Amino acid sequence: MKKSLFYSLSAIFFLLPGVLLMLKSVTPVWKWGEAFSFTFTLRGWETFLMDDRIFHALFLSILIALAATFINLAIGMISGKALSHQNFKGKSLIETLLLLPLFLPVMAAALGLHITMIRLGLANTWFGVVLVHLVPTVPYTIKVMKAGYDRLGGGMLEQAQMLGAKPLYIFRTVELPLLMPSIRSAVFLTVTISMSQYVLTAVIGGGSVITLPIIYYPFLQSVDDTVMAAFSTAFALLPIIAVGAVEIVSKLIRANGLVLNRGVK
Amino acid sequence: MKWRPNNKILYPLIPALLFLLFVLYSLVMSFVESVRGPDGWTFEYYRSLFEEKRLYASISYSFFVTFISVSLSLLIGWGIVRSCHSFIEKSVGKWMVWIPMLFPHFVWGYFVLLLLGQSGIVSSALFQLGWLESREDFPILVQDRSGFGIIITYLWKEIPFVLLMLLPVYAQLPKQYGEVIQVLGGSRRHVFSTIEWPWVKPVLVEVLLILTVFIFTAYEVPALLGSSYPQMTAVLAYDWFYGISWDERSYAFALLFLIALVMGLLSLVSFILLNRKRWLISKSQHQR
Repeated sequence: MKKSLFYSLSAIFFLLPGVLLMLKSVTPVWKWGEAFSFTFTLRGWETFLMDDRIFHALFLSILIALAATFINLAIGMISGKALSHQNFKGKSLIETLLLLPLFLPVMAAALGLHITMIRLGLANTWFGVVLVHLVPTVPYTIKVMKAGYDRLGGGMLEQAQMLGAKPLYIFRTVELPLLMPSIRSAVFLTVTISMSQYVLTAVIGGGSVITLPIIYYPFLQSVDDTVMAAFSTAFALLPIIAVGAVEIVSKLIRANGLVLNRGVK
Repeated sequence: MKWRPNNKILYPLIPALLFLLFVLYSLVMSFVESVRGPDGWTFEYYRSLFEEKRLYASISYSFFVTFISVSLSLLIGWGIVRSCHSFIEKSVGKWMVWIPMLFPHFVWGYFVLLLLGQSGIVSSALFQLGWLESREDFPILVQDRSGFGIIITYLWKEIPFVLLMLLPVYAQLPKQYGEVIQVLGGSRRHVFSTIEWPWVKPVLVEVLLILTVFIFTAYEVPALLGSSYPQMTAVLAYDWFYGISWDERSYAFALLFLIALVMGLLSLVSFILLNRKRWLISKSQHQR
């Protein structure tokens, strides 16, 4: 009873909106008061993909999101490991402080950085935007990676070390494969959050870094619902594609023939 | 001193500490910008900021929208997790919860507009069914002054967030203690107060703080679904930042810095209060 209630409600409130947006992107515009038409059309997607501005924005958004993800993973894995496997004075304070950016208005950070970014020549550049996108993402990544290292435990790494494996080899054979669930979540979160930033990109990018969110707002006024729905659906596809890409990259870095892959998920 | 031998441990924390410094620097700079006048330092902008009518309208409006959105998403989300966590983990249900998380907030805002706007899908469907005489009969739900559209969008996006934050907590709840309490004759209230609440409280506080500051100061959704007056704080700050006069630019910095200060202190205090008890729990948790 409870189960079927939960399933029907989440089908209506979570699944249906996604399905509806996708459906809307391949059907003609529904004029108010006229019967909904379900004639299949690719016009929305064609307009979306043929637009030069969108193509550039798509490329730039992916570049920014991937760069932010890379920096996030580097910071998150290095400090997550230290926070999980080391004990030192003031550890819980540092952990709390590292979460603090989540409890502050990101816009304050963006406005505060604006003048410094101009002085450093980073304002209006894609890398400046990457830096400001770190503010809402790094705390999550550190948290996720710390939890990952908590689950991994220190024993496995110590054993590899005792058997004479070099740090890089340990990373490829033990850490990377066993941390994949955490890495997946971190990548997903970072890409989704980076793709959701309008105001941070607008302030630091200053109108010359045109990402997908930046053109989403003016598009809303100028194009019809079919194109808008295609545009909207694309946002949801990007994090999924990013996780897939990271999966492939990690397969390449990982050492082959792992014993660890058996038994341990 | 113990500092020296510990130095090695600190090296891996350098990137994270640099990041903290970066965030701290940005806040210091927004304070500096808020007190820098044409002829030196001044708190004049703070004084005249508090004489702005738009500020009070914006603060009370943002507070109203934030309070409703945060409390409802927490209550509903927590309620769902409490009654359904046993089967959501490891099921298709969990995948469905992820769907709204995939979309940025402004895309969800557009979806709410598409669905509930006066010329939206629901309004059109009701007309076709003959339940509406004209478009104007449909109530103005989005881009309205009461903030209904904004609240709906936030609820729709944040309830899944609450679910996904709380599910792991309930999955890790030490159920055997519950059995112990039952065997020893404790009531359900005992189970709640000795097991469930201490585990859930830190996460609830964390989610509460994240959602409060996010909704109070987010620009994307109110820019899309809000009306021109009153404005949410971020929209007002954005207007001021790109305003014509220097004064208004300083107001934007002052307003955001004040919110950052209040929220920062509030979260620090709540974490210090929580941590006292939390490390007792986490200590036993690590020594598995």
